[in-house]
Amino acid sequence: MPVETEAPGEGDGTRRGLGQYALRFRVSGVAGFLVLLCVAFALLRPAFMTPGNLNAIISNAAILAIVAAAQAVVLITRNLDVSVGSIMGFSAYLTADFAARHPGVGLALLLMPLVIGGALGAINGLLVAYGRVSPLIATLGTLSIYRGLTYVYARGQEITSSRLPHWMNALPDMRFAGIPLLVLIAAALVCLLAAFLNFYALGRRMYAVGSNVSASAFFGLRTKRIVLFAYTLGGVLCGLAGFLYAARVGTVTVVLASGWELTSLAAAVIGGVSVAGGSGNVIGAALGAVVLATIDNGLVLLGIPEFWRMFVQGSAIVLAATADVIIAGQVRHSLRARRRLARP
Amino acid sequence: MIRKLPQWELTLVVLTIAAGAWSAYLSPYYLSIDQIADSTRQFVYPGILALGLTVVVILGEIDISVASTLAFGAVLFSKFSAFGVLIWVAAPLVVAACAALGGLNGVLVARLGLPSLAVTLGTMGAFRGLAFILGSEMGYTNFDDRYLFIGSEYAFGPVPASFVLFLAVAVGIGVLTHWTVFGRRCYAIGLNKEASWAAGIDVARLKIQAFALAGALAGLAALVWIGQYGSARGDNADGAILLVVTAVVLGGVDINGGRGGILGVVLALFLLGTMRNGMGLANVPGPIQTIVLGALLIVGVLRPVIVQGLARVRRLVLSRPAIQSD
Repeated sequence: MPVETEAPGEGDGTRRGLGQYALRFRVSGVAGFLVLLCVAFALLRPAFMTPGNLNAIISNAAILAIVAAAQAVVLITRNLDVSVGSIMGFSAYLTADFAARHPGVGLALLLMPLVIGGALGAINGLLVAYGRVSPLIATLGTLSIYRGLTYVYARGQEITSSRLPHWMNALPDMRFAGIPLLVLIAAALVCLLAAFLNFYALGRRMYAVGSNVSASAFFGLRTKRIVLFAYTLGGVLCGLAGFLYAARVGTVTVVLASGWELTSLAAAVIGGVSVAGGSGNVIGAALGAVVLATIDNGLVLLGIPEFWRMFVQGSAIVLAATADVIIAGQVRHSLRARRRLARP
Repeated sequence: MIRKLPQWELTLVVLTIAAGAWSAYLSPYYLSIDQIADSTRQFVYPGILALGLTVVVILGEIDISVASTLAFGAVLFSKFSAFGVLIWVAAPLVVAACAALGGLNGVLVARLGLPSLAVTLGTMGAFRGLAFILGSEMGYTNFDDRYLFIGSEYAFGPVPASFVLFLAVAVGIGVLTHWTVFGRRCYAIGLNKEASWAAGIDVARLKIQAFALAGALAGLAALVWIGQYGSARGDNADGAILLVVTAVVLGGVDINGGRGGILGVVLALFLLGTMRNGMGLANVPGPIQTIVLGALLIVGVLRPVIVQGLARVRRLVLSRPAIQSD
C-alpha cells in the first residue's frame, strides 16, 4: 500500500503520518459515532431528545462507564479481566450485608467495597503476573469462584432496600446542579483516571507494558508489579461500581451484575481500547459505555425486542476490533515511513 | 534440568479413580454400572464442544463462542422440527450452518488478522443474540420424537447412544490431529506461525478450517442437546464455556498453542464428569461445584508453574550438600 512518504524531512509537520491521525480519530470517532447515533434516534423518535430521556441514558451509562474504565486499565496492559461482574457482585453483596447487620453505619462503609474489590483484583493480578496464567483463563476461573463464593455466603438470601442505610438508598436520586450525582462521580473518576494514565509515570508505564512487555522489561520496568497494579486498580473501581449499582437497584441479589464482563468489554473495545494492549484511553471507554446505553435506549424506544441487544453488542465488538486492526496497520505504515525519513 | 513429572495423562487417570472412590464413599448410590453409564450423558455436549475447541487451541487461537453456536444450532433445529423437515435433512443442515458460523470466526481471525479472543467474545454475544432473534424468548419444546433419538436412546445395555457418539467423535478428532497432515500442521502453526508460513503452509486457510470444524462440532453438540433436554432456546448451554475451557486446559493443552493431545482432553472430561456426578449424588450445592470447577481451571493452567517451582525446590535441595562440601 503506498503511503505518502515522499516529502523529505520538513521538520515536525511531516513526521505526523497518517497513523497518528488515525489514532486520534479512533477516540473522536467514538464521539462522532455517538452524535450520529443520537441524530438517527432523534429523527426516528422525537421522544429520544427530551431532557428526561437523555438524563436516563447518562444515568444508565454512569456505572457502566466506571466498569469500562476499569476494564480499559487492564486492557491497556495487554491483559483482560472477565471477572469484573463477579467482583462487583461479591463486593456489593458483602457490603450490603454488613450495612444491613450494622444499621447506622456512616460513609465509612464506602471503604469496604473498595478494599474487597481491590483484594479480588489483586488475586487476579497475582495469578496473571506472577503465576503466568493466561489472563482469560485466570479471570474465567475467578469469575466462577467469586460468584460461587457470593452464593455460598448468601445462602440464597437477598438484601432488600429496606435493610440498607437511608443515604445509600437516596444516593441514586441525589442531584447536583440538575445532574445526577452518579454521573458526576463517574465523570470525575474517569477524568482522574485519564489524567493519571496520561501524565503520571506509572500511567505511562502501563501503556509501555501493554505495547511491548519484553522491551519494557529490558528498559527496566517492573512489568509484573505494573500488571498487578492494573488489576488491583481495576478491582477497586469494580468494587465501587458494584456498590453504586447495589444502591441503584436497591435489592442486592447474588446474581447482581452478572454478564457485565461482556458489556464492559464491549464498551471498552467500542471506545477504542485495543485488546492487543497499549492503546486507547479511559475516556474512550466511558464514551463506549454511553454509546451502549444510547443503543439500548434507542432500541427500546423503537420497540425492537430486547434480545437484539446481545446481537448488537457482539457485532459492535467485532466491528470495533476490525477498526482497531486497520488503524494499527496505518500506524505501522506511518512508523515505517518515519523511520525511512529518519535515515540519512 | 527439569526432570519430567510422570505423564499428565496418567495423573488424570489416577485423579479420576480417586474421584470415583471418593464419590463411592460419599454416596451409596454412586457405584453402579447403570448409574455411571447414564451419568456420561451429561458430559457429551460439553465434551464435543471441548474436542472442537482443542483443535483451535492447538493452533494457538481460542474460540469462546462455541456454546453460543450450540444455542444457535439448537434453535435452528427446532425451526426445522416445527416445519416437519426430516431429521436426516435437518441434522446435516444444522451442522453445516454452525460450521458456517465457525468459519465466519475463522475468516475474521485469519483473513482480517483480528485477535481471536476479541472476535469470539463478540460472536459469543452475537450468535446467542442471533439464536434469540431466530427463535423467540418462549423457547420450543414440541419436538418430534424422531428428532430426539441422538440424545435420548441407548446404544447397548445401559450405555447411551450419545456417549458412543462422543467416543466416535473423540477418536475421529484424535486421528485428525495426531495422524493427518491437517493435524500436524495445526501443531506446527501453534508452535511457530511464522516458521509454518515460511515452510509453505497456508496458515489462514488452515485456521478457517479449524474454526469451521469447531463450529460443526458445536452443531453436532446442539443435536445432542436437543435429544437430551428436548428444549431449544437462545440461552441453551449458557455458561457452559467455563466447563469446556476447563476441560481443554486441564487436559494438558497449552493455551498458547502447539502442545497437548486429544487423549488428555478426553481424560480430563472423564475426571470432570466423575467429579460432577459424585458431587451431584452427594448433594454438594451447585455454587460449590462451580467454585471447584473454577479452582480446577486455575490449577490446570498453573501446572507448568507448579512443576517449575517443584523443580527449583528439588534443585535447591540437591545443590545444598554440594555447596557445603566445597
